[in-house]
Amino acid sequence: MNPACGEGLRFENIHQRRRAVDGSVVEILRGVELEVAAASLTVIVGPSGGGKSTLVRLVNRLEDPACGRILLAGDDIARIDPLQLRRRVGVQLQTPFMYAGTVLENLQRPFVFRREPAPAADDTGLLRLLELCRLSSELLPRQARSLSVGQQQRVGLVRALLGAPTVLALDEPTSALDRPTADQLGQTLQTICRRHGISILLLTHDLLLAQRVADRAAFLHQGRILETAAGADFFNRPRCAELQDFLAAPADPGEVDRDG
Amino acid sequence: MTDSLAELSLLDLLLVYGLLLSTVALVRWQRIGQERDLLWSSVRMMVQLLLVGYLLQAVFALAEPAAVLLILLLMAVFAVHLVGGRVRQKMPRFYAIVGAAMFTGCGGATFFLCTLVIGLTPWYDPRYLIPLCGMVIGNSMTGASLAAERLGAEMVERRLEIETSLCLGATARQASAEVLRSAFRAALIPSINAMAAMGIVFLPGMMTGQILAGAEPLLAVRYQIAIMCVITTSVAVTSYLILLLGYRSYFTRAQQLRSDF
Repeated sequence: MNPACGEGLRFENIHQRRRAVDGSVVEILRGVELEVAAASLTVIVGPSGGGKSTLVRLVNRLEDPACGRILLAGDDIARIDPLQLRRRVGVQLQTPFMYAGTVLENLQRPFVFRREPAPAADDTGLLRLLELCRLSSELLPRQARSLSVGQQQRVGLVRALLGAPTVLALDEPTSALDRPTADQLGQTLQTICRRHGISILLLTHDLLLAQRVADRAAFLHQGRILETAAGADFFNRPRCAELQDFLAAPADPGEVDRDG
Repeated sequence: MTDSLAELSLLDLLLVYGLLLSTVALVRWQRIGQERDLLWSSVRMMVQLLLVGYLLQAVFALAEPAAVLLILLLMAVFAVHLVGGRVRQKMPRFYAIVGAAMFTGCGGATFFLCTLVIGLTPWYDPRYLIPLCGMVIGNSMTGASLAAERLGAEMVERRLEIETSLCLGATARQASAEVLRSAFRAALIPSINAMAAMGIVFLPGMMTGQILAGAEPLLAVRYQIAIMCVITTSVAVTSYLILLLGYRSYFTRAQQLRSDF
């Protein structure tokens, strides 16, 4: 992993629509404006169904916005080849997916896709990342699908980091974790950001986690960013009424949303 | 062996049909149902087969290549239509893809067998071309339905896997490798099972027919082996082409899995 290689992200007037089950068109994102500074940890919080998952999918072009643009280090990502873009921007979806096979094979999979030599079980970079994500190297020969969801989530994180991305976007990485494990993951993300200089975009409704790790925080409500502030200010002195309500009584904190 | 098939007169046929009617009567007397379906489908079978019989008789007598090709084309069009009826989750450009795949797979395999191996003279000899091509088309049709059906279903079921792969730098082709493998397997299972069971579990229809018609069993066996190889190849080529041409339509040019299928 190259140190200090973070790149900034900028969302400009992002709109996204989706066809609902009944056939009507729903506007999921309605003019999102957001700046993610290079090598910083930005957290987006907001109620389920506010468009968090969609935002993550736009960052590495799993889908393209209906209108607006996203800039990566100043370049419109719509003009970057998706395969190149996805190597610069690591994305972890809300549900971790493990391929059939061992943990090591799962970690090697991106290299297979890119036809590059994959790290072996004794690769120092790989071992360092495992340690950083609090995974024992004894897990490497285990079947990945036999691990707990929390472990799978961390294997997914190592898998995304092995490709040396400059930006990392994570969708609800702590939804399946208990409090102490979630806090450990938060520390890991801070280390990744500080020590390796990777810009992190973290989407969560885990307010405790958000408060602990955020350099900056943004509130995504019904498809719009209603408030953005430095971490401490955001949580201690919320300005808009919606955020005050949300911080006071976050709606359905335990609910896991698939496309919110 | 030169004995040809024993004559079966119309009167004989009525006798056999009487056997079926007595079955229907038995069913009705015992009140276990199904007499309507039995009657209706037996009438359908009779009418359809008699029509085909007259048609084939006419085409054989005509000995005209255009007529033979027209029959083959009609069979293929019906087959593609039937595939369309069986597959619920149709990919974009479904009929173009299935049509092209069937044409290449079935046409290529039949041409190989009839022209290159058997060396028909004339090349359009309907006595060989129509039944052999019919068997190839019929089996390929099943393979095509299974491949197209599985492809659509797996693209939905494996969405998370495909998108995870895309996130990790896979191309659309790499991300759908498992989908293609699983759909191809589904398409080939009937052919694989048929080959493995042949001769032990059942005697195949074509071979039985040839033996009844007076052919030597060993020659009939050789024909059966040849047609099975050709059928399996055609099934494999047809399904593979459907998968290869079809998977792309689930992705955008930017290696994105569409959400609107």
